[in-house]
Amino acid sequence: MDESRYEEWLDLWSEDALYWVPCNDDDIDPARHVSIIYDDRERLVQRVDRLKSGSVLAQQPKPRMRRLISNIEIVERGSAQLTVHSNFILGVARGGTQQIWAGRSIHELRSQGDSFKIARKTVLLIENDQEIPLLQFLI
Amino acid sequence: MIDVGNLIQGTRIHGSLYRDPSVFARELDAIWYKVWVYVGHESEIPRPGDFVRRAIGLQPVILVRGADGKIRVFFNRCRHRGNMVCHLEHGNAAAFRCPYHGWTYTNNGALIEPTFSEGYDAGLRKEDFGLTPLPRVDSYRGLIFASVSPEGISLDEHLGGVKEFIDLFMDLSPSGEIDVRTGIQKLRYAGNWKFMPENSMEGDYHGPFIHKVAFALHSKRTGFDVSSLYKNEIPDVIRSIPGGHMVEDYRKATIEPPKREPSPARQAYAAALERRYGPQKAAQLLTTIAPLIYVFPNLLYLMTHIRVVQPVSVDETYVYYQPVLLKDAPDEINVGRLRDHEFMFGAAGFISPDDIEIMERNQIALHAAGNEWLFIGRGAHRDKVLPDGSSIGHTMDENHIRGFWQHYGRVMSLPAREPARAGA
Repeated sequence: MDESRYEEWLDLWSEDALYWVPCNDDDIDPARHVSIIYDDRERLVQRVDRLKSGSVLAQQPKPRMRRLISNIEIVERGSAQLTVHSNFILGVARGGTQQIWAGRSIHELRSQGDSFKIARKTVLLIENDQEIPLLQFLI
Repeated sequence: MIDVGNLIQGTRIHGSLYRDPSVFARELDAIWYKVWVYVGHESEIPRPGDFVRRAIGLQPVILVRGADGKIRVFFNRCRHRGNMVCHLEHGNAAAFRCPYHGWTYTNNGALIEPTFSEGYDAGLRKEDFGLTPLPRVDSYRGLIFASVSPEGISLDEHLGGVKEFIDLFMDLSPSGEIDVRTGIQKLRYAGNWKFMPENSMEGDYHGPFIHKVAFALHSKRTGFDVSSLYKNEIPDVIRSIPGGHMVEDYRKATIEPPKREPSPARQAYAAALERRYGPQKAAQLLTTIAPLIYVFPNLLYLMTHIRVVQPVSVDETYVYYQPVLLKDAPDEINVGRLRDHEFMFGAAGFISPDDIEIMERNQIALHAAGNEWLFIGRGAHRDKVLPDGSSIGHTMDENHIRGFWQHYGRVMSLPAREPARAGA
C-alpha cells in the first residue's frame, strides 16, 4: 500500500470483498448513512485502476507514505475464518506537509489454500467525524 | 474599506479577490453577516428538541426545533460570559446548559434561571437574557436559511428564479420531499471558498480534463454516458440567475438511458414518478440529470447531495457533503444514491477530490502576480440575457460565473453594516 504495489494488494482480496471506511462514527448503517469508502470488489478494482491510470491529481507528485501497524489481535477464530484487529499510524508526505492518519483496522480473513484472503476490511479512522483533507491513496 | 469595484471587470476578475485577507474580512460583513445563508434542512431536526450546530461565516449558531415545534436559529453563545452553550454537533435536548457557570436555556431559547440567582439584583429580568435569536429565519421546501442582518430582502426575493430549479431537484422524490439524515462527509482544503461554487458549476468545461478516467468508470458502472455533454455542446444549459445563483439546467440535454433492463425497484420508482407528475415530466426526470444548483453564497445541490461551503479564512475552506435520500422512493434507489455518491464525492471519491486538488493549486498559483487577471469570458459574445436579468449559455460557457461575480461585486460594494448596536 505504501509502495503503490496495487496489483499485489488487489490479489489479497476475496471475490466478495468489502472495503469499508465509515463516516462520522464507527458503527453507522451503510444502507442509511454515507461512508467515506464503501467498495465492493468491482469498485475496489476501479479504485486501483484509477490510481494506476496516472490521472489522480492528488497523486501528482506521488506522496511518500509509510505506516506502522501494531496491537495486532486475533479476536475471533473460526474453522476457516479469522477476525483480526490492529491499530495503524500512517504518515503521508506531500506538497510541503506531512499528514498523520491513524485508526483501527478490522480484517475478516478467510482461509483459502494454505493462506488467507481479505473478505472484509473496515477502517475506523480516528478522524472520521472531522474535516479531513483528501484521501486519495489506500488506507 | 476595500473597494472591489475595480477588481471585477466583466470578463475578468482580479486574483486578489481569492488571496487578500482584507477581502475576506469584508466578505464576512458584506456577505456572510448580511445575506440569507443556508443553515440546514428540516429533516435534520424532525422532533421537538432536535438540534444541529452550524456556523454562518465564522459565527457559531444552533438550529433547533423547540418544544413548541417551532424552528429557531440562535447564536451559540451564553448570555452570561459568552461561552458556547452547545458543543455537540447534533442531538436532542430539552435544554442547553452552558458548561462554564451553568446558565441553562430551554430549547425555545428562554433562560430558565441564572445559577445562584440569589446573588443577582432582584430587578434582573430573565426575559432579558434568553439566547439571542438570529433576526431572520425562513425556509423554502425544507431548506432553512437565516440572516445575521435584521434588514434585507425576503428569502423569497433572494431565491427568486432559483426556486424553479430547487423544485426540479425535489421533484426527483416521489413524495416531493427529501431526507438528508445521511451523515456528513467533512472535508477541508487550502483554498478560498469561492473556488468551490465556481468549480462545482462548470464541470462540463473542466470535466474532460480532470475527470476523464472517473467519468469513463462511472458510465461503465451506471450505463449513463455523460460524455455527450461536452462532445457536442448543448445550448441553453448554463444559467446565471439574478442574486448570484448559478444553475446547470439539463432539461434539454437528454442522456442515453442504460441499455440494460431497469431493476424492479427502478421500475417501481419510475411508476411512482409517473403517478405523481404524469408520464411526460416523469420521462424527463428519468432521462436527464437533475439541475445542478448554486444558491448564493453557501448552498449547492449536486446530483446526489447537498453541499455546504463554509469559509474559514481567505485560504482555508470546509466543505460538507450531505447525500439526499428521496422520501418514499424504494430502498434500493436510495441505497444506490449513497453508493453513487461515495463513488463521486468525499475525500476518497473518484471525482470531487480532483476538483479540490485543483482549488489548492489555484490558491498557490494566484500568488503569481505577473498578470493579475483571471479570464472568465467563454461565451460572452453569445450571452442570451432574459428579461428577468438571468442569462443562458452553452454547456461550457462561463456566463453564470460572470453573473456570480457581478452579484458579488454589488453586494461587496454596498455600504458596510452599521457597527453592532449597543444594548439589548
